[in-house]
This record gives sequence, structure tokens and C-alpha cells, in this order.
Amino acid sequence: MKLFIRILPIVYLLTSCSDFLDVAPKDAVSDETTINDKASAQTAVRGIYRQLGDDDYYGALFQTIGYLSGDNIQWTGSQSVIQQFISHAVKGDNANVATVWSGIYATINRANQVIDKLPAVNDATLSADEKNALLGEAYFIRALAYFDLARTWGGVQLVVKAATNISDTKGLQRSTLEQTYAQVLKDLQTAEPLLPETTNRYRATRKTVWALLARFYLYQGNWTQAEASASRLITDSRYRLIKPYSAFFANNVVATEESILEIAYSANNTNAHRGYWQPPANNGTRQWAPNDAFIALINNPLIGGNRSSAVAITNQGLWYGNFYYRSPATDPAYILRIAEQYLIRAEARAHQGNLEGALQDLDAVRDRAGLTGSTAVSANEILLAIEHERRLEFAFEPHRWYDLVRTKRAAAVLGLTDEKRYVMPIPAIELSADDALEPNPGY
Amino acid sequence: MSIFDQAQYPVMRRLARNAGFLLIPAVLGSPGVHASITTSPPLPAFTDRFPADIPVKGKVTDSNGQQLPGVSVVVKGSKRGALTRIDGSFELSAPPDAILIFTYLGYKSQEVKISSTSQLRVQLETDDKKLSEVVVVGYGIQERRNLTSSVSTINTSETKNIPVAGFDAQLQGKAAGLQINSNTGVPGDGVFVRVRGTTSINAGNDPLYVVDGVFVNNTSLQSVSTGGRATSPIADINPGDIASIEVLKDASATAIYGSRGANGVVIVTTKRGNYSQKTKVNVNASHGIATAPELWDLTTGAEHAALINEYWINTGIDNPASNQTFANRPFRPVSEGGRGLPEEQQTYDRLGKLFRTGQLSNYDLSLNGGSDKTKFYIGAGYTKQEANIRPVFFERASLKLNIDHRISDRVQVGVSNGITRSYRNQARAGDGPQGGLLQSALHTPTYLPETNPDGTPARWAGFDNLQVLLDNYDVNTVSLRYIGNLYAEAEILPDLKFRTSWSADYNNYDESEYWNDKTQLGAAPTYGLATSSITQNSTWINEQTLSYRKQLGQGHTLGAVAGNTIQQNTLKRTFAQGTGFPNNSYEDISSASNRTSGQTWTQATLASFFSRLDYNYNSKYYLEVSFRADGSSRFGSNHRWGYFPAVGAAWRLKEEQFLKDVRLFSDLKLRASYGITGNQSGINDFAARGLWTGASGYPDSETGGDKPATAPLQLSNPDLRWEKTKQANIGLDAVFLDGRLTLEVNVYSKKTSDVLLQLPVPSNTGYSTYYSNAGEISNKGYEVAVRSENIKRSNFTWNTSFSISGNRNRVEKLPVPITQYNRDWIRMQQGYAMYSFWMYKQLSVDPKTGNAIFEDVNGDGSITVADRQIVGNALPKFFGGINNSFSWKSFDASVQFNFQYGNKVLNLNRFFGEGGGTRDANRILFASQLKRWQKEGDLTDVPRLTKAGNNYTLEQNSRFIENGSFLRLQALTVGYTLPKALTSRWNIDALRIYFAGNNLWLLTKYTGPDPEANVTASQTVQGIDLGTPPQSRMLQFGLNVTL
Repeated sequence: MKLFIRILPIVYLLTSCSDFLDVAPKDAVSDETTINDKASAQTAVRGIYRQLGDDDYYGALFQTIGYLSGDNIQWTGSQSVIQQFISHAVKGDNANVATVWSGIYATINRANQVIDKLPAVNDATLSADEKNALLGEAYFIRALAYFDLARTWGGVQLVVKAATNISDTKGLQRSTLEQTYAQVLKDLQTAEPLLPETTNRYRATRKTVWALLARFYLYQGNWTQAEASASRLITDSRYRLIKPYSAFFANNVVATEESILEIAYSANNTNAHRGYWQPPANNGTRQWAPNDAFIALINNPLIGGNRSSAVAITNQGLWYGNFYYRSPATDPAYILRIAEQYLIRAEARAHQGNLEGALQDLDAVRDRAGLTGSTAVSANEILLAIEHERRLEFAFEPHRWYDLVRTKRAAAVLGLTDEKRYVMPIPAIELSADDALEPNPGY
Repeated sequence: MSIFDQAQYPVMRRLARNAGFLLIPAVLGSPGVHASITTSPPLPAFTDRFPADIPVKGKVTDSNGQQLPGVSVVVKGSKRGALTRIDGSFELSAPPDAILIFTYLGYKSQEVKISSTSQLRVQLETDDKKLSEVVVVGYGIQERRNLTSSVSTINTSETKNIPVAGFDAQLQGKAAGLQINSNTGVPGDGVFVRVRGTTSINAGNDPLYVVDGVFVNNTSLQSVSTGGRATSPIADINPGDIASIEVLKDASATAIYGSRGANGVVIVTTKRGNYSQKTKVNVNASHGIATAPELWDLTTGAEHAALINEYWINTGIDNPASNQTFANRPFRPVSEGGRGLPEEQQTYDRLGKLFRTGQLSNYDLSLNGGSDKTKFYIGAGYTKQEANIRPVFFERASLKLNIDHRISDRVQVGVSNGITRSYRNQARAGDGPQGGLLQSALHTPTYLPETNPDGTPARWAGFDNLQVLLDNYDVNTVSLRYIGNLYAEAEILPDLKFRTSWSADYNNYDESEYWNDKTQLGAAPTYGLATSSITQNSTWINEQTLSYRKQLGQGHTLGAVAGNTIQQNTLKRTFAQGTGFPNNSYEDISSASNRTSGQTWTQATLASFFSRLDYNYNSKYYLEVSFRADGSSRFGSNHRWGYFPAVGAAWRLKEEQFLKDVRLFSDLKLRASYGITGNQSGINDFAARGLWTGASGYPDSETGGDKPATAPLQLSNPDLRWEKTKQANIGLDAVFLDGRLTLEVNVYSKKTSDVLLQLPVPSNTGYSTYYSNAGEISNKGYEVAVRSENIKRSNFTWNTSFSISGNRNRVEKLPVPITQYNRDWIRMQQGYAMYSFWMYKQLSVDPKTGNAIFEDVNGDGSITVADRQIVGNALPKFFGGINNSFSWKSFDASVQFNFQYGNKVLNLNRFFGEGGGTRDANRILFASQLKRWQKEGDLTDVPRLTKAGNNYTLEQNSRFIENGSFLRLQALTVGYTLPKALTSRWNIDALRIYFAGNNLWLLTKYTGPDPEANVTASQTVQGIDLGTPPQSRMLQFGLNVTL
């Protein structure tokens, strides 16, 4: 009997083990029950934006590919991987390239989750308009993500369904650049009618779609469409070039009228971008800094104008970019600004022979920077003036590199004649994990 | 007393000297003796007395004539017996023709026929101590000679005075097959420990630590950044309380721990009292110093400046567009707008400010003793160890209380309690610029002054100002730890024992940081940064065992253990951060204007059943089988249970006729074992599930702020299952020359399959890794341990012990190479060892151009990522230690050397320090940079200084991989025991004074100060030296007093 009592716990355990071994997390849910009502649809869409603004995407690293690879920035930190962008000698094992690639695909996955699951949600409190708007936002962000992949790497694998199994994308081949851009356009055209024609600088609306369409058509050389799309924003009184240049970023402002879409940050969700730019005295690492040539340009009152407010100098005499500077680090990530729409339309007009209109748009941006009108006369001169203007206007945003590649000016400006270098290498880590993925030639 | 009571065994070890309690020869499997003597000597009467019995008296001594108390005297063929008294005498009654059997632990048993004189004089010969010692094994104890498995026992008396915080670090060089490296000079930090190689990638690789039956947590609870390193939970255990340490290595020994045995098991037994023993007081006090060994050789300010100018001009030549010329070189006269000429530069010594002579102090006080029913051990300890860099130190106060009580002859209960408070003054001694202490001192160029022209502290190169850090560092941690066990055991039938125990390991880990506005992290516009993190780790374990041991007659001995255990582990963390403090007088987060917080919770459970059967015939043939089943909450329901069998066999050739009389051999045994063990530690508790998580929030509009968000976290893997390690072991134990020479040899082969890893998957899935079972890893190796008593005279002894182990690790199968650490310097790849360095191989520097020439592996004419290759790994080919100990009259001395051969180290400090000037004012230049190529014909491996090309912009340059082999004088101790005649006047039993030196000398080709350094606590990274302080040289004086 005594023995029996002592053995009893063992017997008891045998029967109750399966309960004992069932431990569920407290802060996560099974992925089958994620988007099933209004609230869960809203939280999932917000999650896409947060990833869009992650350090690996618009938070910082994606942006760096766009500006480090230009001609404005020098490497001043400890990570010589940065120098690879500046020297246009990026290698397939460049960690930043790999991080950005996976960050963009993570964004696509979050959008795909919403696109896949939201249509089936049946919640009386979720109106059709609200549902459409959430869906439209997901389509818009997916378009933006594929646009960024295309302009950075060329044609990529198009994943338009959320993975439910780790081998779902096995064997998927890269699409061509044209197919990738076609997907971008398709998503934008799907998003446009779904979204309301409202103004929201933190979230995508129909107007945001137009702004990205303008950029998209510019990259395609579709000047009429580019002009038409940009005009829709420029003529909208909710967007304007606010003066001076620093008015849209200095003094901790957010969501100014300059902004069409920016990613918001908060004390809880900070933006790491400032840390790379700011000097140690301001709590940063100054991993890179404006180079001497650029400092000379931006500090020239006839060229940089009041845009010189975007740079500053330490008491040790070192220049640094001061576009991202806040503490806590809540600097917005600017994705679409009205200044870009002016310059898009200027370029589209110049290409269409509307030189006067082009100059008007160009001078609008120059005027805001405190500069007099451009002296350019011919179409070529105007295009060159626009290029110069963009170099300064978007010095710390992801444009310069893409502009020089897009306009086939990289050889002339950067001395980079090897066209294989106009796209980034497919990350080595992705190539080893995915047999179907083809590397970019020359890497 | 049961055979599975790990906590009890030191008592047994000493039992011979403490006559009283029941004994175990039968339990231990000695043939022919099965005494069950349960009363104090002498036994007055026997109920089965025969009329013809005669009284027998006698005296037992050792070969030196020393009286032996507590020797068991049994009448052969009966249950009658007695124990000798304190003077070695005994008396009992026996038939006139009876044979008496004398047994005593550590001595050869002897049979004596009763002679007519009835006054017996018996001299017992010592047996080989090593083979007859009792070792703790899983859920039991065994005599070493009866082992079928491979178990190393550590002599803690040799290790306990090594001034490191955790006992794990003390074991370096002490056991074959146990590779230990101290990666940093920060006391209380984690230590690299591997038993027979690295078996896993993302599941744990550390051995299982069992302290008094409690499976203790060995995963650091640290959450604040100290530059990559992490604290050691093992440091919460005071080595002074430890009686013995056993390392179980092969499958036969570890499979009874099933899912937790794959990386070996370290069983720690703490000290306990003895029944019927006068209370003994022990005091151990020591004090010492810790200094840094030889540090890095840096350029002077003038040298640095000249190199920068050279780099500047060369870059201008290579890339005219950069407009870098002699005229605008950085170090040109101040009047020309430069930083001054090179020769005008000062040299500032920062290392000298950081490194110091640290103080070491250690005090242990213990009491132990017992009545006939209750025994106790009380241990109090205090230790403080200052690192060789300011302001880092480790401090521990501990209290240990172990009590055992006999309720009756059959029932015993007991407790083990250990309470510790470990306080750490921490600093970022590793990677990372902000707050990085060693980087700030080492990586700031020497020409840069410590203050600005206006007298304020200067910050350079992304680093904090060193003096500001030293004056304001405020990062500290308090770890409160309770490890305890409560057991009851009962002999429910003769030969059948039941034991139940409850154990707890509770750790409250309280971390806080305060970075005031003088430091970079807290500087304006942050205005002070404070964090607080409280982590609670609690484990409870319940365990039942039944054990049975029976002499079946005619030499057959059978033992069995069966039991179950259930365990639950909960990890909970609450953290808060504040920025924006009114001023530096306010340090609590409540005063911060911006506050954020968070919370995490995770839990895992494990249920297990285990059993072991062992059998031996005449102590000649041994067979042991064990089996364990484990159910884990971590795995998908398809694969929740894992089954782990093992079998071991041994053959003691010495017991065979043909060796019985060969005097050369005192013992000779062959062993073989095979079994399967598992691994599930280290992976996320919910790794198998498909999950979404509460993501960081995002606003809906320009007003209203962040609203909650969700995001996919991981895809489910219902097939996630145990990692399994199959291990075969063949061993030989030989004892020669009456125990003067002992040899143990093992060869083993381990193969781990279903390796748990976060497999890199194509990012287009939306995930970058996926928990899965993929890959295979093998470890094959040998271990040789030799002990010899070279000289054994009454006033002079000299003993030597030596061990050497080699292990070959290989990733046999891996679907995708996995890179590790920043800039993927380390890569795991099929066909290569873990911790392999993946580099561009620099073949030479072209004497004509000064450019580095890299191997173009694929011959395509350019250096691309396809040309990266594995150029060695951080694992040694072999390692070991040699110890010599001497005693001469009242003096004793011991010398321990450790060695390691064939491991490579990536010298990242040198990587930064030989940056060719490309980092200009952002990094130090080492003196080795001066060897750069300057002109045609120069023969060097340091390329021409330039930013162009690959000379200095390929970060994975094999030039920085160095040979990390070393020979270290690990410990040197000299002690003197005062004459008894003197000390007994003060009522002191023994008084010993000693001097101990540690890490006194190092022989290595490695150019950094410490080839064992490693920057991170990550188990997938080893052999990267960046920013960690080297291990200290330590000198101590101490005193041992026994009252």
C-alpha cells in the first residue's frame, strides 16, 4: 500500500502529460487566426507600415543605397562595407545589401497577408469602404516595394501570395525588369480605386498612388503620364512647397504640407537613421558624411541656397548631415514629397518640349531654396539643371543613384562605365538559400 | 543510503574515517561482501549466535601501523559483523573456524581465518585510490572500477583557489575531453565550455549542469549590452562549497539524461556534514592582485600622422578625382589649415588609464559536523574580484546550508540550500562604440588629445571620452539566486529504495544602466538615458526514483534504477527605459520625460521517464543499459516525445586468471558504449509554432499617435523535433605498479543528426530563417589521461597528471551555408568545422606595386565573393594540461600548464589597427602598420596604404587570421603547513599559508594579448578578438585554517 501511494504520482503523470506539455505563448497568436475582423485587419495593415519604415528599408539602409552610391557622401566610419557603395565596388556579401533585400521582401509578405486574408473577412462593423481602403494600402505598399526592388536589383522574383509553407516560393524564377514594373503598375492600378481621395501623410490614399505613379512613369520615360500624375498633386492645395527648405524637417516638425507620404516614428518606435549621420558629440557614429565637393555645393548660396541647413559642422571642424537629428530619434522617413512632384513634372515637360513649364516647376523648387530662377535655356540645359537640383534637393534621400542610372548619366557623372554595376548584386546569402535565384551578371 | 543519492556520496568517500553509518560495499558491487552493519561499534550481541561461538578480538592498522577506525569486519557466510573503534580495535563472536572479511574503502579487502589466539592483528593494504574512488553518475553513484562509461572526476582541491568567478573556468586543463576557454578578463563572464566538441548550431552546446540534483540554468539572463559578452549564471555558485565535480562524457553515462545529455553532463556535489562528527570549522582567506599581461603595441601620434599623410597622397595618386595631394594632406602645418605636421603630434596613452591593478579577495567560512541523527554543512563565502580594467568588478556573497536527518534506519530526509547575491559592476568591454570602454581606450588614435581646446572632454571616432566613461560609468547587475533541493528517501523493501525530491532554481536578475548627459548615450539631445530590466527565471523539478541492487549469489550483481521527472521553466522579463532627465542628479526612470517599457514571458515544460539496469559478474564482466523518454513542450505534437537508449559494457581483464598474478597491472579494464542522447536547449520555447506577434505600432493619421499593430513572426514547423547525437566510445583503464601509474584512454565518435537550426531561407518567403532540423555534425576524438606518483616517500612526494585530447569537428551536412557575426567572418559550411573563417585569402603583397594579391579561386580575373574561402577555424586540434604537485615535509607546491594547439583567431583589433589609414582619425593604427609596403622591392604582407582597390576595403582579409596556439602557466601554488606542535597550542587542527599565481606566463605566436579572447557570447561565434580585455595575471596570498 505504501509503495502504491508512492508510485501513484508516476501513474498520474503518465495520464496527464499531454496537458502538462501544452504551453502556449502569451504574446503571440497562431497564424491561422490573424486577420479575421475589423480590428485585426487594421492592426495587420499598421504592421506593414512599421516594416516599411524599418531600419532595413525606409528607416535607413534602403535609403543609403540610394545616396551612398551617388557622389555626395564619403565614408567616415568603421565599416568599410560603406566604401563599397561609394567606390561602386559592391560585393555579393555586402551585409547592407542583404539586409535591405530581406527587409523589402518582409514588407511584401506583410502586404500579401492582408491581400490574401482581408477579402474573406466578414465583420459587420467593417464597412466596404474601410475594407477597400485597407486593401488598397496593402496593394500600394506592395507596389512601392517591387518598385524599389526593381530599381535596385532589376527584375526579381514576384511573390504575390503570402507564404503558408516555407517551400511555397521554391523554384520561383526571377521575372524580367519589365514584368516586375508591370506588377508595380498593376498593384497601383488596383490600389487606386480602392483608396479614398483624402489627404493622409502617414498612410496611403489615392493621392499617394498618383504621386508614386508620377515617379513610376518618370522611370518609364512615359512623360505624359508622369506629368499628368504629378499635376494632380501639384494642383492639390493640401500640398505645397513650404519655405524655407528646412521648414519640412527642422524644429521637429512632422507631416508638413510638403509631405505626401512619410513614415512616422515615436519614442517607442525610433528611426535609427540619425545615428549613422550624427557625430559622436550628438550621440551618433558619423558612419558617413557629406564629402568636400558636396559641402562646397550646398554651402554655395547660389547653388545650395538655404538647403545648407541640412548640413552642420562639429566644433572639431567636421561636417555632418543634419537632416536626421531628433531625440528621441523620431525623424520621419520621407518617401514622397511635393518637391519631387515639381521636379518630375519639370523633367517630363522638358522632354515634351514644354520648356517654359519645365522651368516654372524647376524654379518653384529653387525659389523655395532661396535661389533665383534657373538660367538654363535649352531642353538639355534644363534637364541638366533639374539633375543638379535633384542632387541637392534630395541629397539625403534615395534618389541620386537611381537618377543617374535612370537617366544613363552614371558613366558621365560617376565615371562608372560598367553597366553591370548599375544594379546591386543579389545577396550571396540569398543565392545560397535559393537555387532558383539567378545572380546579377558581373558579381 | 541509496545508490542514487548524488548529494550523499562525499560522505561515502569519507565514510571510512567516520565509523557509524551503514555501508555499501554490496551496494557498490564489491563481490563477496554484503555487510549490513547499521549500528555503532562494537556490536554487542547477535541474535543468531551459535553455541560454539568464541569471542574474537583484534586490531586493524594500515601498512604504516596507523590505526584504522570504521573498518567493516564481517563473518564470512553470515550477516554478522562489526566496525572497528577509533583505535582500530574490534570484538565480536564467531564460530571457531570462521573466516573474517575486512573491508575498508580505499583498501584491499582481506580474509583472515580466526586463529586460536583470538587476538588478530590485521594490516590492510591500500588499494589504488583512483580506481576504488566513488564517482557520481546520473541518478546514482558507482565505484570507478565498476564504470562502463567515461567519467572524469575533478580534484577540486587543485582548482578551488583559482581566482575566477565560476567553477567552470577553474576546470580548464583538468579533464580530458573538456575544452574550456576564458574569453575575456572580465570576472563573472561566460566561459566557452565544450565536452567532446560542438554538436549543435542553434540548440545549446554547453553541458548540462546538475548541482545537488538540480538542473541549474546556465543561460545568461543578461539583457543590457556589454559589447557582446554575457554573464555566467554558473558564477552564482561559490566554488568553495563544492566537494566534487564529475564530468559525464560518453553516451552510456549521459543517456540517462536523455534530451539533455548530448553535450555532456557536469555533476556538482556540494559539501555536507558527517554523522557523529565533532563540528569542524574551516576558514580560507586570500587576497591578491590582478594585472594585465602585455598589451597592444600602438603607433605614436607622429607615426600615425605620417601614415595618414602617406595614405592620403597614395589615394590621390590612385584616384586623381579625389583631389588628395601633398598640398592638402591632413597633417600639414596648422598655418596651412592642417592638423599640424606629423612630428608636432603628441601621443596620448589611454590604455594606461584604463588598465589597473585589480584587487582580489576571497573569504570562505564553513562549519560541518553532525550528531548521530542529523548532520549539517554551513558555508558562507564572500569574494570580490576586480578586473584589470576599471571600473569592472564582480562580487559575490553566498550562504549554503545542507542538512540531512535520519528519521529511522530506513528513512532519511534532507535539504540543500544555496543563496547567492552576485553583484557586477559592468562595462561594455567588447564591440560597440557607444560606452565601449576598451574600444574607446584602444581604438582612439593616439595623437588625439583627451580634451578640446576649451578644456571640455573630447570625443573621437564615435567613441566616448575615456575619462568621462571612467568617471561616470554606471551599469550594474544584482543576481539573486536560490538553488535548492528537498528530498526524502526510504528503504521500502530490503534492497529497494525509493526517493522523491523537489528542486528549485530561482534567479532574480536585476539590471540597471544610467548614462548621464556627459556620456555619449545620454548626451544632449537625449539628456540622460536609464534602463532597468528585471528578469526572473524559475525552474521547478520533481523527481521520483526507485532503485534496487541485489547480490544474486555466485558473483552476479544486479542493479536497477527507474524514475520520472517533470520540470517547468518560466522566464519573465520586465523592462523600462527613460530618456530626458532634468539633470544628472535624477537617476530613476520616474524622472524621465520619455519612458518606454516592455514585458516578455515564456515557458517550457519537460516530462521524462528513465531507467537503467546494470549487471556484473564477479566484477569482471559488466553490462549496463539505460533508457530515457522525454516529452518537451517545445516541439510540435507530432514529435513531442523523444527516446534515448544506451548500452555500455566493460571487461576487467585484471580479474581474469591470466592477469591475476601479473604484478605490472594493478587493474586493467576495457570499456565500450554506444547510445543516443538528445538536445533541445537553446531554441525558442515556441519555435515549432506558426505565430504572429504584436508588432510595433503605427499611426492611422497625423494625429493620435501609434496604434497597435501585428505582424507575422514565424512559420510553423509541426515536424520540429529533437536533435539526436549518437555516440560510440571505446576506453581503456589501466593501473600499473600498485597504483603508481594510472592511464585512461578513450576514443569516441559522435554524430549529431536533425541538427536544430535557424535555417536561412529565401527572404522572398517573408522570413529569413526557419527553425528546422537540418544538417549533421560529427565530432571524433581521443582523450588520454595519465596520473603518476613519481616519488612517494614519507617526507617527499611528487605526482604528475597529464591530459591531452583531440577533437575533430565537421559539419557533415548543411543544406545552406550559414554565416555568422558582422561581415560574415564566420561561416558554417558542409565539409568544414564549425567556427570556420570565411575570407578572401591574401597570398602576398606585390613587391612591385604594393598591392595585396588575393587568391582568385575561380580564376575569373576579378576578386568577387566567389573567391572567398574557408581559411581555418577557431577549434584546436588538441588541447590539455599538465600538473605537477610536490610535497616536502610541510611544504606543498603545484604547477599547472595548459596548452592548446591549432586554433585560429581572427584578430579584429589588428584589423582595425591595420586599416591602412582609410579610417583616418576614426581608428587607431597599430605599430604593425609601420611594416606597410612603401617602395618597389619591399617584402611585407602589409599592403600599400590607399583607399583604392582591395588593399584595405576587403574586410574579410585572411591576413588577420592568426595562429592561436598557446602554452600557458595557468597556476602555480606554494603552500606551507605550520607544524602541528605549534598550531595545536592554539587549538588549531591545521594551518596552511599559501601563495598562488595564475596566468603567470604565456607562450604564443598570437599578436594580441590573449589568444582565448572572443568578442561575443554567441555560441555560433568563437575566435574573434575585439575589444575584450585579456585574462589577468593574478597573484594571491592565502590562509587555510581548520579548527
